[in-house]
Amino acid sequence: MLRARWAILLTAVAFTAIALALVFTSDHESTPAFTAAANLIVAWSFIACGVVALARVSDAHFGLLMSAVGLTWFLSALTESNNSYVFSVGNLLWGIPLAFFIHALLTFPRGYLETKIVFAVVAAAYGLLSLAPLLFSLFGEAGCSDCPQNEFVLVDSNLATTIVGVLFIGVGLFVCGATIWVLIRRWRVASAPLRRILTPVFVTSATAIGAFLLAAFVSAVSETASSVLWWLVLFAVASVPTAFLVGLLRTRLARASVASLVLELGVARDPESTRDALRKALGDPSLNLAYWLSDRSRWVGVSGWEVDLEAASQGRRTTLVEHDGEVVAAFIHDPSVDRELAGAVSAAASLALAREQSIQVVRQSESRYRALLNAIPDLMFRMSRDGTYLDFKGDRDDLAVPPEELIGSNARDILPVDVAEGLLEGIAHALDTGEVATGEYELTLNNVRRTFEARIVRDGDEAVLIVRDISERKRQEDELRGSRVRLLRAGDEARRRLERNLHDGAQQRLVSLSLALRLAHARLRDAPEEAERLLAGASEELAQALEELRELARGIHPAVLSERGLSAALEALAGRAPVPVGVTVPPDRFPPAVEAAAYYVISEALANVAKYAEASAVEIRVTRQNGRAVVEVADDGVGGADPTRGSGLSGLVDRVEALDGVLKVESAPGAGTRIRAEIPCE
Amino acid sequence: MNTLTRVLIVDDHPSFRATARALLQAEGFEVIGEAENGVSALKQARELHPDVVLLDVQLPDFDGFEVATRLTSQNGAQPAVVLTSSRDGSDFGPLVAQSGARGFIAKGELSGAALKAVLG
Repeated sequence: MLRARWAILLTAVAFTAIALALVFTSDHESTPAFTAAANLIVAWSFIACGVVALARVSDAHFGLLMSAVGLTWFLSALTESNNSYVFSVGNLLWGIPLAFFIHALLTFPRGYLETKIVFAVVAAAYGLLSLAPLLFSLFGEAGCSDCPQNEFVLVDSNLATTIVGVLFIGVGLFVCGATIWVLIRRWRVASAPLRRILTPVFVTSATAIGAFLLAAFVSAVSETASSVLWWLVLFAVASVPTAFLVGLLRTRLARASVASLVLELGVARDPESTRDALRKALGDPSLNLAYWLSDRSRWVGVSGWEVDLEAASQGRRTTLVEHDGEVVAAFIHDPSVDRELAGAVSAAASLALAREQSIQVVRQSESRYRALLNAIPDLMFRMSRDGTYLDFKGDRDDLAVPPEELIGSNARDILPVDVAEGLLEGIAHALDTGEVATGEYELTLNNVRRTFEARIVRDGDEAVLIVRDISERKRQEDELRGSRVRLLRAGDEARRRLERNLHDGAQQRLVSLSLALRLAHARLRDAPEEAERLLAGASEELAQALEELRELARGIHPAVLSERGLSAALEALAGRAPVPVGVTVPPDRFPPAVEAAAYYVISEALANVAKYAEASAVEIRVTRQNGRAVVEVADDGVGGADPTRGSGLSGLVDRVEALDGVLKVESAPGAGTRIRAEIPCE
Repeated sequence: MNTLTRVLIVDDHPSFRATARALLQAEGFEVIGEAENGVSALKQARELHPDVVLLDVQLPDFDGFEVATRLTSQNGAQPAVVLTSSRDGSDFGPLVAQSGARGFIAKGELSGAALKAVLG
């Protein structure tokens, strides 16, 4: 790029010499010195701007176009030639620099034409500013009386010239209007830092274009007024590269502020301060900072939350910050921020950001472990070997004393003697052996007896106690144990009842039957009538024995339940009940254990109805709801049943709970009894 | 021992008492009374002075072995106590011998001959 810059400068020097020669030898230039000075100022403004821009990679394309404006500006000097052909060529080329100017303006600051519309505007500018001078030359002489002859004129027609002039102004209005529209639109969507760069260039450009349009209009009315305006256009155009250079200078000044950034980062105490210093240095209040956590392969922002760098970089630019060859951070900023400035800031901030990154790593780690600790519902204590509480984490309701009294106190002063001694033994064991010591103890807190399980681990010279409230688990275990015992007792009781029933019932009848048959046999010959009476009695005894055996068998397990299902079994049960019983049961089968539990719930409920309820009707309803068998037995009796008294209902509760079900009894005095059991079918 | 042996039947099941009475009477025993519980058995034994008390092991008030002990340890004439049950005698182990009873007859095997065999 250096060669290009030198080539441009040397070309410009050569063009300057030629232009000066043409101007000062011109026989139709009344103010050669002024004209030469004005045009040289304009041309060299653009060339200087272009050469400076070419030195920056991001502005190279813009620099080329600005240089093109400056170099082609010298073409206007051809119109100063006394040679009619050179003069005529000069008349054909005066629009070229203006076309380059519009092109350069519309590529700023990106360096390329962003949309098809912008491309069309630039194409229109080239077309207009190439064709218009040609048409003017074809249909008219030069504008001054002393000027050489226009060698390209075909027809010297005022009408044609006027038509071309009107067309030129019309299309020129469109091109200039479109250019200004593009500039305004670009300025409106620009970020604050970009606006700072755009504003001086766009304001001077808009002024130049406006002056150009005004001059074009006025030239149709007043030659003198228009010549003044054309000079104004000239200086307005010349101010554009100056505005660009001012923006560039501001960037350079900003780069100089990197030194002060280093000082600010040196005293920054937190990531927010660091970010603010970077924002100030880059002049971008929207800048965001992210730290790279290599151990977790993720980016986090200044607040410690994870950042999706790819998503955050959409429509923005990311500058990575490296320290000792490792990426430590990145700042996401406006794309208009000067790349070199961003690079300088990145280098200056690397040490501070590496330090911040290390802090973030520690914070993340701490935050992770804190989250883990907070997720554990257990109480935690840090204690010294002598039993002094050093720290704790947990709910104050789980403490034997208020937290403010706990720290610094000794376990012996707070806990019952046996608990404190056990705890100290555990601490000593953990500290001496490095093994985890465990134990259980009970405390009365807020008048509630609670059971705790402690695990004691060594942490240097101190012990960490992790204490879990296992009262609920203990209660459930006790309940389960009680339930098992009750089930066993109920089984024993059922067997005893069965044996008694067999002994008192069927067995006695069979004994009597045996004796009667023996007696009848003995009397058959001597007293046949008595033998016949004995046999009749025996037959009756046998029938009753059979019925009692059937009843007993039903009590053990009703065969109809396993063979025909709950519906048939409940119909049979209802048929034997002393009061009318309505039965609603789904026809499909439930698992055998569920059917048996449901059957015994209903059987026991009906037995209670017969014994105590004084009911006139009973309604049985079995349904399947959400994978559960729901059994309801409701009577219209006297109510007042208590499931905690007597073994019947409590036995049913155990039986249902053994299947993970629940059984509830509603039996307000005078309002009947409703038993509802829900038994999972899985 | 002859056909005039007087027997008191103690059992809480009326059907057994009736059948046993008929069976024993048919085989030459004299059934002088029936009791359905322990208290009644002791009372009738004192009043009727039976030769034999056919005593059910399971009574609603007293244990049959307890009643047997009392009957065999009372002053004066003591009846021969024969325990009976619908269960097998082996179910009771040494209890029969310890109670002072003369022997045991399963209810299903009760007969005059069996009673005579126990009484010797």
